[in-house]
Amino acid sequence: MADAAALLLALQFADSAFPAGGFAFSWGLEGLVADGLVTDADDVADVVAQQLTLRWQSMDRVLLVRAHAANDAATQVAVDRLAEAVTFSAPMRAGSRRAGRALLGVCARLGLPAATAYQALAADDARLGHLAVVQGIVYRAAGMTCPMAELVSGWSLISGFSSAAVRLGVIGHVEALRITTALRAALADLLAAPARPAELPASFTPLADIAVMRNHRRDLRMFAT
Amino acid sequence: MSAVSTRPAARVGIGGPVGSGKTALVERLIPALMRRGVDLAVITNDLVTAEDAERVRRSGLIDPARVAAVEAGACPHTVIREDPTLNIEAAAALERQFPGVELILLESGGDNLASTFSRDLTDFWMFVIDVAGGDDIPRKRGPGVIRSDLLVVNKVDLAPYVGVDLPRMLAEARAVRGGRPVLTTNCRTGEGVDAIVQQLEREVLFRQ
Ligand SMILES: Nc1nc2c(ncn2[C@@H]2O[C@H](COP(=O)(O)OP(=O)(O)OP(=O)(O)O)[C@@H](O)[C@H]2O)c(=O)[nH]1
Ligand SMILES: [Mg+2]
Repeated sequence: MADAAALLLALQFADSAFPAGGFAFSWGLEGLVADGLVTDADDVADVVAQQLTLRWQSMDRVLLVRAHAANDAATQVAVDRLAEAVTFSAPMRAGSRRAGRALLGVCARLGLPAATAYQALAADDARLGHLAVVQGIVYRAAGMTCPMAELVSGWSLISGFSSAAVRLGVIGHVEALRITTALRAALADLLAAPARPAELPASFTPLADIAVMRNHRRDLRMFAT
Repeated sequence: MSAVSTRPAARVGIGGPVGSGKTALVERLIPALMRRGVDLAVITNDLVTAEDAERVRRSGLIDPARVAAVEAGACPHTVIREDPTLNIEAAAALERQFPGVELILLESGGDNLASTFSRDLTDFWMFVIDVAGGDDIPRKRGPGVIRSDLLVVNKVDLAPYVGVDLPRMLAEARAVRGGRPVLTTNCRTGEGVDAIVQQLEREVLFRQ
């Protein structure tokens, strides 16, 4: 078995009960449901698979790996600036920063010095704090290797989407399990190949991006994105 | 560095079942606290709409920029108890934006008797029930009723119309709370609101 301490660390941070505000974000799913573009389990599975391959793999993972490797504040900030630049819409940027700052905040309270230091920087600069970047910083500070940090980040995306889908009433708990089981395999495939941090982070999930933009202005909504 | 030399604002939670009068109480507390010179901000945890946040922003009682809305992702319990991080961040953002803010009122989304606030989020929290919900509510000993720092029984004006024996309801409430504070309000008229303000001044603003 892999090192139990390392696995337990990953389980703790990947737990949906980890208190970093993740439950309040649907990353476009709520809007897609409201617009009738996601109506059943197959649709949810498609959306999450696309988010995993066309967003997480090519963008979040790249940012996370760069942030995890950063040895000084200037490099961390540069990765964060890049995250800001490559995140398409304003509501998506705002959501990513809110989620990142929540994770940063709880890790600072936990006493991780790297989190406290970066939180102080972010307090004075409203454009800092993107989720993937903060994940890279705090997962490293908590003691995760980079591959483990990638795994936790990818899994958080999958479980966050399926949980949001359940609360949106599009799928039941067993369908959620089926979806997370299938995507667990998809994530494992992605993780089997090394990350490519040298590439420019990029995503292509236009429907979900538009859904986030539209949702932002909707009167009826339960999620932050 | 953000050099905020003032002490952190007191966080005061307001929870309670749907429609018990939480926003009505916020609307009464804002002017009452402001009259006493308290520097205020408000956070609402609306469930499906930003209705309460908008209602407070449009009330004309407070600078709309001082009212923040935090989404609960359909989890009103979670956002004030198991995972209050988004509310904690919203409160910190208000403090940064309005240095000198002394008190932040946090209205929970309408919930049920089991809802309680995390001590990491609030310094003091009250639970608002109303007489029209039935005089058996205190007897049911929900964690909100039992553990809140202050139980507010609102809509006392309605007692005669819903067949509620108010003195008995209050006696039972005090009994299940082991004598800890229970106050009554009529948020339509503002009756009883001063007593809550005095409690807040004593317990969280340390003015008395
Ligand atoms: N008669 C009477 N009505 C009241 C009183 N307080 C509030 N109401 C009314 O009760 C209704 C609900 O009040 P709100 O303040 O919106 O209740 P709430 O607890 O904020 O509701 P949610 O946020 O939706 O859970 C409104 O129609 C109020 O006008 C009161 O003391 N007496
Ligand atoms: Mg309300």
